[in-house]
Amino acid sequence: MSESKPARTDHGAYVRKVQEDTQNFAQGLIGEVERLRVLVAALESEKATLAAQAREIETIVRANDVLRAQIEGIKAETKAYSSRYAEVEQQNSNLANLYVASYRLHGTLDREQVIAAIQEIIANLVGSEEAALFEIDHDTQALELVASFGVNRDECPSIPLGGSGLIAVTARTGEILVVDPAQVSGATGLESRLTACVPLKLDGKVTGVIAIFGLLPQKGGIEDLDRELFDLLATQAAFALYCTDLHAKVALEAARRW
Amino acid sequence: MSKKKILVVDDSRTALFMVTTILRKERYELVTASDGEQALEVAAAELPDLILMDVIMPRKTGFEACRELKRREDTKSIPVILVTTRGEGENVEAGFQSGCNDYVTKPINAQELLTKVRDHMGAR
Repeated sequence: MSESKPARTDHGAYVRKVQEDTQNFAQGLIGEVERLRVLVAALESEKATLAAQAREIETIVRANDVLRAQIEGIKAETKAYSSRYAEVEQQNSNLANLYVASYRLHGTLDREQVIAAIQEIIANLVGSEEAALFEIDHDTQALELVASFGVNRDECPSIPLGGSGLIAVTARTGEILVVDPAQVSGATGLESRLTACVPLKLDGKVTGVIAIFGLLPQKGGIEDLDRELFDLLATQAAFALYCTDLHAKVALEAARRW
Repeated sequence: MSKKKILVVDDSRTALFMVTTILRKERYELVTASDGEQALEVAAAELPDLILMDVIMPRKTGFEACRELKRREDTKSIPVILVTTRGEGENVEAGFQSGCNDYVTKPINAQELLTKVRDHMGAR
C-alpha cells in the first residue's frame, strides 16, 4: 500500500503537467493562429494592393500602346511633311532657275547680251561649257552658227536644213532632243558629242537650234529641271532674240526718219 | 537681331542673279562684286559674315582673291566658299590651298548651297 501513494502523487503531478503543457500548447496555437490571421490579413491587403497595381499597370500599358501608336503616327506624319518640304524646296529651286533664266533673257534688248545670257544659262543652270547657237538662214536654207562657247567655231559649219544630223533633224521637227548616253549613236564629228538639241521656236516655227555638247564632269546627266529649262529656252530665247532684231530695226528706222 | 551679310562674287550676271535669288529667300543681307579685285574692296568695306566666290573671273581669280583675303588681318576670319565649274580633286585641292573653307560646284544646287552657307554661318 505504501507504494501506491507516491504513485498517485506522481499521477496528479503528471496530469497537472500534461494539463499545463496542453494549456501552453493551446496558448501557443492560439498565438500562432492569431499571428497567421494577422499574416493572412496582411497578405490579403497586399494582394488587394497588388491587384490594384496590376490594374493600374494594365491601364498604363494600354495608354502606352495608344501613345506609341500616336508617336508612330506622328513620326509618319513628320516624315511625310519632311518629304513634302523637300519637294516644295526643290520646286522652289526649280522655279528660281526658270525665273532667273527668263529674267536674264528678257532683261535686255541687246542681241549680244541675249546671246551671252543664253550661254550663261547653259553654263550655270544646265551645267555645260560646250554649246553652239545656230539660226536658220532662209536664203541658204541652212543653220548658221551665231555663237559658240567651249567648241571651236571651225567645228560648227553651216548645217543644211535637209541634213540627216541630229541638229538638222531638231530644226525640222521642232522637238527637243536629248541624247541617251547609253544608246550607240551613228553621229560623227561634233554631233557625236551632242547631249541635247533645243529648237528655238517662235509662233510654232523653228528659228534656230541650241546644240549642247559635253556636260560638266560633276553633272550626271540631263534632269527633269533641264528639260523644263530647255522648254523655256525654246520659246523665250527665240522670243528674246526676235525682240533684239525688232528693236534694232525700229531703232534703225527711227534713226533713218530723224 | 541683325541680318547676316554675304558677299557674292561672280562675273556672270546669271550666276550672280541665281545665287542672290536663292540667298535672298533666306533673308540674308547681300552685297555683290563682279570680279576678284572688286571682291577685295567690298570685303574690306563691308566685312561680310561669309563670302561666296566664283573661281574663274577677270582681273583676279577666285583663288587669288581668296589667298589675299586670308592674308589680310581684317578679312582672314571670314569663311570663303568657292564656286567652281570643275569638281575634280586637283581643282578642289587648289581651292583649299588658297585658304577657302568650302566649295560648291556648278550648276549650283540650291539645297547644297543653303546647307553649306548655314553651316559656315553657324560657326560665326
